[in-house]
Amino acid sequence: MSEPTPAAVRDYWQETLAALARYPARPEIEPLPLRSTLFAQLFGVRLTSLGPYRLFGYLSIPAGDGPFPAIYYAPKYQSVLEIIPQGTANLQRSRYVTFSLAGRGQRNADAPYAAMFPGLLTDGIDSVASYVFRSIVADSVRGLEFLLTRPEVYPARVVVAGNDLALMTAASTPGATHVVATPALFYKTAALAPKSQAYPLEEINDYLRAHPSRAEFVRRTLAHCDLLGFAPRVTAATLLMAGAPGSVLDGAALQPLAAALRGPVTVYESQQSLYKDGLYAERWMATQCGIADVQSILPQHWRD
Amino acid sequence: MPKAPADSYQSKVKKPDDFDAFWDGVMGQASAVALEPEMVPDPLRTAEDVETFQIFYTSIDHVRVAAWYCRPTRRAQRAPAIMLLPGYQMDPPIPKEWARKGYAALSVAPRGKLRSNRQFNPGYPNLLTHNVVDRHTYAYRGFYVDTWRGIDFLLSRPEVDPARIGVTGSSQGGGLTVTTAAMRPEVRAASAGAPYLCGFMDAVELTHTYPYEEINDYLRLHPERRAEVEETLAYFDGISFADRITCPIIVNIGLQDNVCPPETGYALFERIGAADKRLYPYDGHGHDAGRSRHTAVVDAFFARHLLGREVSR
Repeated sequence: MSEPTPAAVRDYWQETLAALARYPARPEIEPLPLRSTLFAQLFGVRLTSLGPYRLFGYLSIPAGDGPFPAIYYAPKYQSVLEIIPQGTANLQRSRYVTFSLAGRGQRNADAPYAAMFPGLLTDGIDSVASYVFRSIVADSVRGLEFLLTRPEVYPARVVVAGNDLALMTAASTPGATHVVATPALFYKTAALAPKSQAYPLEEINDYLRAHPSRAEFVRRTLAHCDLLGFAPRVTAATLLMAGAPGSVLDGAALQPLAAALRGPVTVYESQQSLYKDGLYAERWMATQCGIADVQSILPQHWRD
Repeated sequence: MPKAPADSYQSKVKKPDDFDAFWDGVMGQASAVALEPEMVPDPLRTAEDVETFQIFYTSIDHVRVAAWYCRPTRRAQRAPAIMLLPGYQMDPPIPKEWARKGYAALSVAPRGKLRSNRQFNPGYPNLLTHNVVDRHTYAYRGFYVDTWRGIDFLLSRPEVDPARIGVTGSSQGGGLTVTTAAMRPEVRAASAGAPYLCGFMDAVELTHTYPYEEINDYLRLHPERRAEVEETLAYFDGISFADRITCPIIVNIGLQDNVCPPETGYALFERIGAADKRLYPYDGHGHDAGRSRHTAVVDAFFARHLLGREVSR
């Protein structure tokens, strides 16, 4: 079985997005007083994606007159959906519109499909047509489309943040002006997984150990999802968060990806400190979004 | 770099006078429930050098709890064991790497976690304040017991040496390590990283990040319930449990931790009752608590106490 051509990969995703477009989002937006503050109001959002499948997200709107820069937190690789990432200062919500989305299978979007972790990465992987991430990419695109409908969002400053899905989303639909991406799932996966024993890549190793005859099908599916295929369509300014030097996805490993992106790229190599890495990303986003006093929206233990 | 917090921070936590009686009562209720352990081989997650099983056992309130269990394929008749406890939001990992180091390893999914949420599922966020006004029904009553019952599962296994059981985890797993070491004398060594669930009411003033922010959210909406909340949390605070710990224990904290304030880590360490205890504060680190440097410390600690090996670092 040969590798798919770039045109075949492009057609696959265009067909996916065309299928998504046949379903209107039909959002339902409900206030959540428990998580609302004087500086930001929180809403639960339900909306339809490919399938059709009903998703859930948390939308936070700052108090005051907008529009505001926005951060879209694309679906993570975990069962839990966070309002904003653990450890982020709640005051971030005073300056940005934030929207976090549960892709299908995650909590609050786990009926009728409840994903397993580990397990999601190989669900349906032996067929490009059935692979669950075809639908999850569509989910993530639908989330960004929804965010961009909000009048509170300043469309010139929209950050998409997350793992591989951040880049895949920015490549698949217009509107992302900035991307903060930490590749973990879909960059040269077939080649890199055998070099790792850590989950989630170990899921690929587990699957191929159990089903060696399906290796070519798996390779073909992963080729359809590889970030190198998406990169030429990403024009947003991008911060690529690489692993620490010597790790499977370190800065050197990500250089081909960085070179393939169309917009300006900064590659940051992890210093193996969630403080240093997180601070860099928060400052980068604030600078890109014109927020001068980033100190005021950092966690207390990160402030100078 | 932000200024490191003072190590002399005074926690507000006051251990309730009937703390031991409360938990003795809970333990009594739990011990009346049969463990009913079930061990299901998982060929998909089994490798040449590690056997993996899905585990299920029954805990207090008859809630069925899931776990992952890994053991080395080639092992001595009796192996040391490690119980791995999960973070607040993380999905409990398959502990293959611990089995590769020579341990029988159990990774518990307490109630509400993925695979243990059929009977109890308050969700995230929400777990931290679920029934927080009543210590008898607070979410963490059952959650704590679920982890302590993991020790019973290990003791039920013929391949586990009951005299060589350790406990470890980070963040919520660090807090659960503290409570488990305090309540289960079978634990012979414990390593707690960035401990959560320690100094709840200190933390909600020291930081405004989730998950602790769930408590601030709750009190903003229900300010009249503050006294009840504080009363309940004192029974569940790792700092209240700490003086019961007698096994060797190490604790690592990050001095720029934006999730579990380092001040609470210092306060916890000061209250730990064990004579053999050591704190590893990592400046320049956040909620990772220096993991990249500390992993070798943890490996050497358990090798010394459970494998009977001195490991040079």
